[in-house]
Amino acid sequence: MSYLELSGLQKRYRDSVAVDDVSLSVEQGEAVALLGPSGCGKTTTLRMLAGLVDPDRGAILLDDTEITRLPAHRRNMGYVFQSYALFPHLTVARNVGFGLEERGIAKAEIARQVTEALALVRLAGLDGRRPRELSGGQQQRVALARALVIRPAVLLLDESLSNLDAKLRDTMRHEIRSIQRSLGITTLFVTHDQVEALTMCDRIAVMDRGRIAQIGSPEDIYERPATRFVAEFVGRANALPATRDAEGRAVLWGQALPVKAPARGAFDLFVRPQRMRIVPVSEPVADGMARVTGRVLRSVFVGDHVEVLFEGAGGQLTIETQSGTAALPEGTEVAVIWQARDTLPFARETP
Amino acid sequence: MTGTARLKLLVLPAALFVLAVYAWPTLGLFRNAFNETGPTGAMIEAWSLKTSQEVFSDGFTFELTLNSLWLSLSATLIALMLSYPVALFLFRTTSRFRGLLAVIAIMPMLISGVVRVFGWLAILGDRGLVNTLAQSLGLISTPIKLVFNWTGVTIGLAESIMPYMILALLAGFGQLDRTLEEASRSLGASPARTFWRVTLPLSLPALALAAGLGFVLSMSAYITPKLLGGGRVFVLATEIFEQATTNTNWPVASVLAIYTLLLLLLLLVASNIAAKGLQR
Amino acid sequence: MNGAGRVLSSLAAIVYVLILAPIAIVVALAFSADSFILFPPSGYSLRWFNQLAHNEPLLNALWLSVQIACVVTLLSLALGVPAALALNKGQFRWRGALTNFFLAPLLLPTLITGLALLLFFTPLRLTATLPGLVLGHMTVTVPFVIRMMTTAFSTLPDDIEAAAATLGAKPWRVVWRVTLPLATPGLIACACLSFLLSFDETVISLFLSGPRAATLPVEMVRYVEGRTDPLVAALSVLLIVATLIVVVIVERLVGVARAVGK
Repeated sequence: MSYLELSGLQKRYRDSVAVDDVSLSVEQGEAVALLGPSGCGKTTTLRMLAGLVDPDRGAILLDDTEITRLPAHRRNMGYVFQSYALFPHLTVARNVGFGLEERGIAKAEIARQVTEALALVRLAGLDGRRPRELSGGQQQRVALARALVIRPAVLLLDESLSNLDAKLRDTMRHEIRSIQRSLGITTLFVTHDQVEALTMCDRIAVMDRGRIAQIGSPEDIYERPATRFVAEFVGRANALPATRDAEGRAVLWGQALPVKAPARGAFDLFVRPQRMRIVPVSEPVADGMARVTGRVLRSVFVGDHVEVLFEGAGGQLTIETQSGTAALPEGTEVAVIWQARDTLPFARETP
Repeated sequence: MTGTARLKLLVLPAALFVLAVYAWPTLGLFRNAFNETGPTGAMIEAWSLKTSQEVFSDGFTFELTLNSLWLSLSATLIALMLSYPVALFLFRTTSRFRGLLAVIAIMPMLISGVVRVFGWLAILGDRGLVNTLAQSLGLISTPIKLVFNWTGVTIGLAESIMPYMILALLAGFGQLDRTLEEASRSLGASPARTFWRVTLPLSLPALALAAGLGFVLSMSAYITPKLLGGGRVFVLATEIFEQATTNTNWPVASVLAIYTLLLLLLLLVASNIAAKGLQR
Repeated sequence: MNGAGRVLSSLAAIVYVLILAPIAIVVALAFSADSFILFPPSGYSLRWFNQLAHNEPLLNALWLSVQIACVVTLLSLALGVPAALALNKGQFRWRGALTNFFLAPLLLPTLITGLALLLFFTPLRLTATLPGLVLGHMTVTVPFVIRMMTTAFSTLPDDIEAAAATLGAKPWRVVWRVTLPLATPGLIACACLSFLLSFDETVISLFLSGPRAATLPVEMVRYVEGRTDPLVAALSVLLIVATLIVVVIVERLVGVARAVGK
C-alpha cells in the first residue's frame, strides 16, 4: 500500500463530469504533478484530496486510513491556492501561524515555528507586513510557509506559479523543489505548464477529460507518450498522416520508413521537431534512420533555436535546429532524417 | 459535515420571522378580502365575495384605477426621459467624480420622502420658487396652481422614482458596448445617427425594465399623492389607506390592496416580457 | 473630454439640478425668517431651529424614531446576518427558492405590508406600540440585511475560507476568524442603512402609529398636512445631514450603488 492512494475518484456536476475516474498511488516523500489542460479535472482532484470537494464515488486513503469523507479541517493537508488566498486582515506572521493557532499550540512555540518557516521561504523580517504590502512572489512564499508550517501530511499546490512573471517563476520552481526535497514532504502539484511538471516532479500524471492518460517519470512521459493526447500535450510534435505498405511498414509521403505501422486504422506518425535533422540530399541513409526529402520553405530564428519549416511531397513539417548553424536559403532541396525509434504511431482520432 | 448541517439552522430565526410577521399577515390580508362589512360598519367574518362585488360595481373604483394608471404613466414617462441622460452619462463618463455623481443621483432615495415633498412644496407652492420667479419676470400676474393637484403629484412622483430608475438603467446598460458606437462612428454615422441607430436600440430592454419598476413604484406610492395632492388627488393607494385607517373598513381595504397587487403583478410581467422581447 | 460628450453632459447637468433642487431648497428654507413657506425667503434666521428645540411632539417623535431604529438595526442584524451566512455556506437544495422567500418582502410595496400588519396587529394590541413598530420596520430591514449580507459574503476573495479550513479551522472558527472579519465593512454599511431605512420608514409607520406612539416621519406628515411653515425644513436639515453621514460611511465602505442596487 502506498502512502497516498486515490482510487476510482469521480465528481459530476449538474451537466458535466469534472473527474471521471482517477486512481493514483503516491509514495511518501514523492512529488507528483497532475498535468493537463484547463478543464481536465486536475484542480477538482486536488480539492477532493483537501476535502474541499466531496467525491461522488471512489476513496482516498492516507497512510492506510480512509479519509474520503473527512472534513477539510481534519485532514492536515497543506494547500497552496492559485490565488494564494492569504488572509488580508492578518499580518504575515498571523497568516503563517493561523494553522498552528487552530491547533491550540502555545504562543511562544507558534512564534518560533513561524520565524523558522519564514526563514525557510526567505522572508525573515516581514512578519509584521500585511499581504497587500507584499509582491506577488512574496505572497506566494507566505502561502507556501503557511501550508508548510502545519507539517502537512501532503502538500498540495494548485497552479501555484501561474500568477508570477516568467523570471520569478523559474526561481520559485527551483526553490519549491529544493524545499520539497529537503523536507521530504509528499507533494502534489497541479499545473498546465509542462516545464513546471517536468522540472519539479518525480512523476507526472497527465490528465485528459477527467481521467489519467498516463503516469510516469518525466522522461517516460516525454519520450514514450502512451497516448496521442499525451504526445500532443507534452512537448511539440509533428503529427504526420501516414499509410501502411504490404510489409506492415509505415509509409510517409510515398516513402516507406523502417517503422512498424499499427495493424489497422488510419494513423499519424509523431516525431519531435528536435529529433529531426536536416542533411544534404546526397547523404546516404544510415541503418535505423527514417528519411524524407523535400525543400526548405522558411527558416525562423526563435532565439535559442531555429525553426525550419519543411515541405515534402505530401505535406509540411517543422524541424528545430540549433541556432548558430548557417541558415538554409528558402527553396533548398534537402533531406530530413531521424531515428526510426523516435517515431511514434498513434491512431487518428475520429472527430 | 455536521458543521455545515448545523450552519443551515441559522436560517431558522429569520425564516420564522418572515413567516410570522410577513407571510402570515399577508395571508390574513387575503382572508380579510372575503369578510363583509355590516350596516353599522362593523366587520363580519365570512367567506363571501360580497365585498369584492361591492368594490368592483362601484364606479369610483374604476375612476381610482384610471387615476392611478394615468398618474403612474405620466410620472414614469417624465422620470424615464430625465433618468436616461443621467444614467447614460454615468455609464459613459470617465470623470474622476463619477463615483460622487452616481451617489448624488441615487442619494434622494435614501432621504426621507417627507423631506423631498416638503422641498417641492417650497418650489411649486403659491409663494414658492417657480411662482415668485414667474411673477417677478412678469410672466404671470396671479400664482398658478402647481401643488395640491395632479401636476404637483406627477412632478413629485417622477422625482421620487428617478433614483430607482437610474439604478435600473445603469444595471441594464451592461450590454451597451462602447466599441459598437465607435464602430458606427467609423462607418460614417453622425453622433445623433449613432445614438438613434445603435445606442437607443441597445438600451431598449433596460428602458423597459426601468419603466416597469417606475410604474410599480408610482402605483404603490402613498406619501407623495397624499401630501402633494393636498386631499384633492385620489388614487388606489390613498383610497386603501383611507379605507383602512379613517373608515376602518378592512374588507374593502383588503380587496383594493389585492386588486392593486394584481395590477402591479400584471405590469411587472408585461415589462419583463417587453424587456425580453426587445433583447436581440 | 470625459467620455460622455458635451450634449449628454449638459442634459445630465440639467437633470442633476432638478434632483438636487428640492433638497437644496429645503436647506435654504430652514434658515428662513418668514412665518410661512415663501421662497426665496425675505430674510434669514435661526428661529425655526430654535422653535424645533422647543417642539415637544416632534422631539419626542425624533427620540422614539431613534430608539426604534436602534432596536430594529440590532434585531435585523441578529436575524439577517446568520441567515445570510447559512444561505451562503449551507448546501441547500432549494437555495434559490429560499432566497426568494426571504427577499419577497422587498418586492411588495410597503403600502400592502403596512395594511397587512395593521390587520394582524390590531387584534394583538400591537398597533401604536414600540414592539409593533419595531416588528413592522423589520419586515423591510430583515430582507434588506439578508440581501446585502449574502452579497457581502459571496464577494469574499476566492478560496479564502477554504484556505482557513485546510489549515485546520472548524467551520464556525472559519466564520469567526475569516468570514466575519472580512465582511465587517459590509456589516457596518448594512447596519447604517438598516438604521436609515427604519428611521425614514413612513408608510408602515403611518398604518401602525397611533396618537400615543408616532415616529418622526409620521409626526412630520401630520405637521405638513396641518400647517405650512419652515419648522419642518429645519428638522429636514437634521435628517439630510444624518443621511449624508450614512451615505459617506456606506460609500467609503462598500459603495452606495452596490449597497442599494441589486
